[in-house]
Amino acid sequence: MEDRKLTEKESLEVITSMIAQTKQRYIGDGNILLMWGYVIVGVTALIWTLLVLTHNTCWNWLWFLIWIIGGIATPIMAMKKQMNKGVKNYSDSLTSKIWSFVGIIAIASTFICLGFLLIKGVDAWSMMFVLALVIVPFAEIAQGIVLNEKSLVIGGSVGILFGLFTLGCIAGHITLFATWFMPLFMLAFIAMMIIPGHILNYKARKAK
Amino acid sequence: MKELNPLLHSQLRLAIMSILMSVEEADFVYLKEKTESTAGNLSVQLDKLSSAGYISIEKGMSGKRPRTSCSVTAEGRKAFEEYVDALRTYLNL
Repeated sequence: MEDRKLTEKESLEVITSMIAQTKQRYIGDGNILLMWGYVIVGVTALIWTLLVLTHNTCWNWLWFLIWIIGGIATPIMAMKKQMNKGVKNYSDSLTSKIWSFVGIIAIASTFICLGFLLIKGVDAWSMMFVLALVIVPFAEIAQGIVLNEKSLVIGGSVGILFGLFTLGCIAGHITLFATWFMPLFMLAFIAMMIIPGHILNYKARKAK
Repeated sequence: MKELNPLLHSQLRLAIMSILMSVEEADFVYLKEKTESTAGNLSVQLDKLSSAGYISIEKGMSGKRPRTSCSVTAEGRKAFEEYVDALRTYLNL
């Protein structure tokens, strides 16, 4: 393309052709999703093993590893992804804002649970499971709808089913014992993040 | 009849503005790839659009690599919309 004058008809052609080029659907790889999925499943498996073997609830503090690893890795990976893509469109902004809100809700929930524990001596940490299995899959479904990506919508829907089951257990005063609940939690994240992440990576490789 | 804005009535500058109107921001490499222009020519046209206040250019580093990011300004958006309106009258659309 050069710096030359155009006829009116050519102008219209340039505009429509350039706009069409930016409308090409780009989802990118599923590496961030995979990172969160593997970190959550890995940390859960570690805590579950330690709890079952030692019966010492202090191991629950290891849950913070998820926030530490994910919180450091996500901005680095997102910046790299943005750099490779070269363009930021409105759907990128929307999904980025959705996940930022999830992050803010997660931080607020952590402080609320810590407050319950330190001020009242009450264990309210089961609220974090609701966050992980209702709000996170809801954000994933929203992202899937925005990007028109079925694997995210299906993965998020499966996650929400696990979340509703968890809410039912809490409302019905059924204790979420680590022995059976934590494997269920891992299963939810495999369906919600690991499987869609691999599907996205497969599609990204195929698109190259 | 409304006159077509001479700054936008050029192939490469119009292409740049059309892209930037449909995205929030785009970097130099992306614009170069989509417009199939040379780096030198693209750079000159970006400077012209920036001097007119139609786009904002942000230069920074992304890791170890330099990154030039462009986005359309409110003034640029208005100029582009007026250009399209004028084009419509010329083409009787």
